Amino acid sequence: MLFGKKNKNAFEGGGLVLFQAVDEAITAEKILKAENYEVKLVAPPPALRKGCDLAVEINITEKPGIERLLQSKDAHFVEILPLKGAGELLDVVKTKDFGDSLMVKAGNMKLTFDKNTGVILNISGGGCPDIPFLHISMLDKKLTEASSPKLKGYTLCALMLDRAFTEALDIWKKEAN
Amino acid sequence: MLLVCGTIPQKHLSLIKGDAVFEQERLLIDGSEIPCTQGTAALISAACVTAKHLKSAPPQVLLAGDTGKGKGSHLLYDYLISHLSELNPDVLLMHYILPVMGQMKKVVAASAKCKKKPVLMADASSMYAAKGAGLAPEFDIFTPDICELAFLADPDAVHPAYIKHHLFTADGTQAEALIAAAYRQKGAAKLLIAKGSTDYVIEKGKIACTISEPDIPTLEAIGGTGDTISGMAGAMIVAGLTQMDSAVAALKTNRKAGELVNATPATKIRQLITTIPDALKNII
Repeated sequence: MLFGKKNKNAFEGGGLVLFQAVDEAITAEKILKAENYEVKLVAPPPALRKGCDLAVEINITEKPGIERLLQSKDAHFVEILPLKGAGELLDVVKTKDFGDSLMVKAGNMKLTFDKNTGVILNISGGGCPDIPFLHISMLDKKLTEASSPKLKGYTLCALMLDRAFTEALDIWKKEAN
Repeated sequence: MLLVCGTIPQKHLSLIKGDAVFEQERLLIDGSEIPCTQGTAALISAACVTAKHLKSAPPQVLLAGDTGKGKGSHLLYDYLISHLSELNPDVLLMHYILPVMGQMKKVVAASAKCKKKPVLMADASSMYAAKGAGLAPEFDIFTPDICELAFLADPDAVHPAYIKHHLFTADGTQAEALIAAAYRQKGAAKLLIAKGSTDYVIEKGKIACTISEPDIPTLEAIGGTGDTISGMAGAMIVAGLTQMDSAVAALKTNRKAGELVNATPATKIRQLITTIPDALKNII
């Protein structure tokens, strides 16, 4: 729970950007608002505080897009964390062999490629609005020719897809050698 | 009336509302073609063919273009909050919309102002928003896969990317424990239609039905096979089937369609949707 008066209509994003200094937080808030992100300046709870006592609350689902935007503007921040839980992104990756093709699962995202050609056959799972867009842009392309989902996506689903893609690409390159 | 609300992967499409038709692997909204891909387009297409089979009205759709930045999603939330009581759908099926917890709360509040409260269904990111906002028990139906079941069972996660490791490593054999945890944490809707190597229909915490045949493992790889289940179930409820019968029939039809199309990991969702009418003949 954040400090301050509880307001039932207040923005609830579920995530925080943490900073070393107050002026960094204020700069980041301006950058994000200029790009139409819904954000607000808040005091981080003591358990999450790392650096100064001002943070920017964000919609945690938008973490990858926000991270990329702040980095592109050279805006310094310490970390982006969810308000609840251990704060660690799921890093478990599993595979399922279909014979001629291999499915790589990372969190809620799955990417399947042809083991002979390296062509992406299907992408399944997920639910954020950038996934259908990434699906169209990656399908039927070779793993070595497709863009990383992290570069084009904005959400945590895209980040999970990026993990599946990166693992699939590693497997493909190892098999090719 | 079934109202499907979601985004499609087009940057500059603003809000559109209208009737949906699926013909020869093409999805048309008020005469304009929308690519039938994984996501809300697949859901609508499956709802269309199901409605046609059951001789009921085609779904109404409320769509906006969004490639992840959330602009289209906010248009949808705002429209629903302002107009849901006028639209007065029998079933509101919310799908690929950027999860914004505060906005989802307002949509649920708006649904209570309808003449008759619609059956509330959420799939994909709308399910994430509903669960994250603590609204899961307000919803009638969620349609998770096994990973999303773990998400519903995790009291802290507001997105499946933050599921605790021990829950994600749970395989299908631990589905019952996840279901129990999801209801205990108030992370589940009244009815869950859970897709996996074994499908589950769960009502108020109790497993009412399991389905594992025909066994088509390749369905897991095909993007959109959860979307088709949601679309079919929504169309069946509007056509007069009970929620339980719709859940079971949608799961069985999906498997049968996979069998009829000889699904491989390369099969595209539009190919599977074209076999749904034949699959439905075997089920209802």
